[in-house]
Amino acid sequence: MILDPILDIFRGRAITIPPPDGAFHPNTALDDAKAFAELPDADNLCRAGDRLLASSNDGLYALSDERAPDRIETFPAAITALAASADGTLAVALDDGTLTEAGATVELPSGVGCITALAYAPDGSLWLANGSDRHSVSGWVADLMEKNAAGSVWRRAPGGSLTRVADGLEWPYGLLPDGDGAVVAESWRHRLVRVGTNGVRPVLEHLPGYPARLSPAAGGGAWLAIFAPRNRLIEFVLQEKHYRHDMMASVPREFWIAPALSSGNSFLEPLQCGAIRSMGVHKAWSPSRSGGFVVRLDADLVPRSSLHSRANGHRHGTTSVIESGGRLLVASRGGNCVLAGEAL
Amino acid sequence: MTFRERLQAWRYNFVPDHVIGEILSKRWTDNAIPFIALVVTVATFGSLIPGFFKLYSLQESTRQLGEFSLVVIGLTVVMLGGGIDLAVGSIFALSAFAAVSTFFILEQPVWVALAASLGTGLICGAINGYLIGFLRLRAFITTLVTFIIGRALYDILVVAYGSQIQMSMASSDTWDFIGDGTVLGLSVPVLSALILAVIVHIALTRSRPGWHVLAVGGSRRSAHNAGIRVRQTVFLTYVFSGLCAAAAGFLIATRLSGAGPGTGLGLEILALTAAVVGGNSLGGGRGSVVKGLMGAVIVLVMTNGLIRLGYGTGTNQMVLGILLAVAVTIDIRWLKNRHKVLNEVYVAPVYLRMGETQSAVPGSGTPFELNNRLSAADPIGLGELEGPEDVILDREDNLYCGTRHGEIVRFFAPDYSRSEVFAHIGGFPLGLAFDKSGNLLSCVGAMGLYSISPQREVRKLSAETRRTFTSVVDDAVLRDPNDLDIAPDGKVYFTDSTKRYDAYDWALDSIENRATGRLLVYDPKDGSTRTLLDGYRYTNGVCMAHDNKSLFFCESWACRIHRYWLEGPKAGTAECVIRDMPGYPDNVNRASDGSYWMAWLGMRTPSFDLSLRHPGMRKRMARRLPQDDWLFPNINTGGVVKFTEAGEIVATLGDLSGQAHPSVTSMREHKGYLYIGGILNNRVGRYRIEGADTGWTGNDSYWGVRS
Repeated sequence: MILDPILDIFRGRAITIPPPDGAFHPNTALDDAKAFAELPDADNLCRAGDRLLASSNDGLYALSDERAPDRIETFPAAITALAASADGTLAVALDDGTLTEAGATVELPSGVGCITALAYAPDGSLWLANGSDRHSVSGWVADLMEKNAAGSVWRRAPGGSLTRVADGLEWPYGLLPDGDGAVVAESWRHRLVRVGTNGVRPVLEHLPGYPARLSPAAGGGAWLAIFAPRNRLIEFVLQEKHYRHDMMASVPREFWIAPALSSGNSFLEPLQCGAIRSMGVHKAWSPSRSGGFVVRLDADLVPRSSLHSRANGHRHGTTSVIESGGRLLVASRGGNCVLAGEAL
Repeated sequence: MTFRERLQAWRYNFVPDHVIGEILSKRWTDNAIPFIALVVTVATFGSLIPGFFKLYSLQESTRQLGEFSLVVIGLTVVMLGGGIDLAVGSIFALSAFAAVSTFFILEQPVWVALAASLGTGLICGAINGYLIGFLRLRAFITTLVTFIIGRALYDILVVAYGSQIQMSMASSDTWDFIGDGTVLGLSVPVLSALILAVIVHIALTRSRPGWHVLAVGGSRRSAHNAGIRVRQTVFLTYVFSGLCAAAAGFLIATRLSGAGPGTGLGLEILALTAAVVGGNSLGGGRGSVVKGLMGAVIVLVMTNGLIRLGYGTGTNQMVLGILLAVAVTIDIRWLKNRHKVLNEVYVAPVYLRMGETQSAVPGSGTPFELNNRLSAADPIGLGELEGPEDVILDREDNLYCGTRHGEIVRFFAPDYSRSEVFAHIGGFPLGLAFDKSGNLLSCVGAMGLYSISPQREVRKLSAETRRTFTSVVDDAVLRDPNDLDIAPDGKVYFTDSTKRYDAYDWALDSIENRATGRLLVYDPKDGSTRTLLDGYRYTNGVCMAHDNKSLFFCESWACRIHRYWLEGPKAGTAECVIRDMPGYPDNVNRASDGSYWMAWLGMRTPSFDLSLRHPGMRKRMARRLPQDDWLFPNINTGGVVKFTEAGEIVATLGDLSGQAHPSVTSMREHKGYLYIGGILNNRVGRYRIEGADTGWTGNDSYWGVRS
């Protein structure tokens, strides 16, 4: 209606989210995929030499086709990020804000204590994403609901020390170094940005979910894991200051109206009208706090196709994806497993 | 409570926002804009023009108004039928000419002149009607053509016979009376317009032909499919319009005793403007005679007023054009957006601070602790049933339940694998109960209280109660009759859950949370229905206490069970027995051990409870999000809870997996088994109760053991 722009001032604008269309056409590929390994809270995957590693809470596991996941190391706090360099050096970040590289503690600048992603560039430099300077990684929901923009991206050139490349980001959660910069998944803003000497430039916006980690794809381009879908109710609550603050103050965190790694586990969780189980059916299209999505980006970072676990699926909270030996491995943190699918 | 919260509570609980939505849902709001325009126009010109309200001045302008109104009424009927008639001006002129030529040249009596005049209108209208109705030409072009031809014919005739008419000496008292006289202070044109308006109004709103016209205008195809003779109806509207224009032409002929080149010039535009400004839709189907009359007054007052204020024809035409444009715009925009506005403003949430509740989480150690026992229930009718809100068993152990298709389905004992449709009622059968003589009574959502005899005869018992004085939308109607129970004296106590939403939208009522639930009683002796209690947040299950001295009913959105006393010192009053439960209660039924079963249709969630304290947030949510995204109570988990007369919780049954019985809306104990229904479920569950009396049935408990 022609009066809408005027009325919007009083009633607020309609809340819209990008439709799951084109490359995001819904499918059930993640739910159909074979579970490669059962691993509670499977989070970050990485390939170190010929070993395939996965983090799960405070444990570091080696995965293989033949055996169940093998716990190779236990850390004093939950692992929040993993990366391995070309020569096999393993960097591990923990929820207590520490970073170790090949077993040695790395000195971190002040304000860096929320390491959500690590990556080694081909030139040997280490990239580090600091989700927020106000919360630890496990406090990510609070950081989103407080609408913070307190994340930063750091780089350590070979032999140098950590220097800040970008800040003011809303929860950088994935890193893909290329050349002298890196592509960063800026989760709360639903977009990918390129950081480097030219500052921060968006490269892919209006994602239908909250992007998590990035990894290179064979044949160019990249894989992007999206750990939760966007939800109109959540975006609405983000605009409702009083309700949101009261919710954060009085409601237990797992029952917030907020994205989640898995949902439907308790009757105390919020429920939206479309998600009502009717005639024995939980509708796949229903609004959900959690979901699983893996996106194939081409060399220009344009989405080409995607794999989904929808509202009625269980492989939710996909935080990490890597391509290894012609296979696609996806960590579903909400589904407590690592999935193996044929690479697209 | 913070100051802000207190302010919100006042704001949303004492300002009746819901009235806006209710008023908007009324058809008469369509009249509001033309009525305001009418008042403004009359007031403006009345104050600008001295002597506007003087009797003589009124007398003269009302004569003109009467004639004009006749034309507008005819045009309104055509427009209601989905057409348009531009030829009214030329029909008007031709029939005026027919009248004067018959009277003055042929020197015939007045009634012949009237007949000639009406005959002219009839023929012209029939030509229009035939072309448009039967040959199905475009109304606009066709009537434009007949308008031009008619006008041309009239111009030729006036030039040829004008002088003859003027020189005629014919005269008649009747003729002069019609032109000048008054009856009871009203002139003949005004009288005839009033009489015609009343007749047409009654015909349109209360007669078959009138409904046919409205139906054809609303949707030709649907009208055709419904068996209405569309072509004939359209034909008749044009004939009627022609007759109306002819009658007006006759009246002006008597008033002016002549016909000049200016007669009826521009009348079609005036009449069209009047009909549209009054609020009759150009698309057809929507409008009324009253609207046409309001439009006629507005247009005439405005044109006459402008002339008397000294403005020329140009200004006059300009104002008319602008008026028409504004009216058409409002008509179309309003028609298109009314339901959107209604959707946006209808949900008007109120403030409620729910009491702290005990946890129902497994392992919490409270009496409400849920478990997974119901997932072991055997399914009955899995995949065949949709929406068995309530279940009941007869003395032969057959099982009955309602479905969302408006049917009562019977499953045959002993294994309940065979079923049949016991009766089709329509609506959404919810609560069920057997009376003493074996009739099955049901509260049918969106319909009322119904009885089905063992011979399957469906009979309506009650569909309304007394209307409350302050209601905007008629609250005598039962929108969501939900559950019932029958006292030994045959009186039926039942609930109507909300006055604000229809049965199918029951869950929306939780967003609004307005207390409009009622407890009613139907007396079979005189067939009357009375409201016993009003103002509860979704009254739901009803159950007579074992001693029949009181009944239990639950208030779903407040998570409470109340007891209403039928006799004793507290007779006629209600008291709360259980408050602040962690789940939303639905139906309540007797248990074999002297206690009661209650179904939980859903669970409270902290986020929803908090939103009840933020009515503004809920209101914005309802406006800005599509319904599928709205925050709801968690109705994906429910359960069955057993409580004693004193309100003590003694057992709970749940299905935490949510696979078999996510939301439970009813349960019925029968011979050691519990039968479980769910309004959103696709089955009835049969659950074996440990240690229950395997001989106990509801029918025996209510009506005694039958040998």
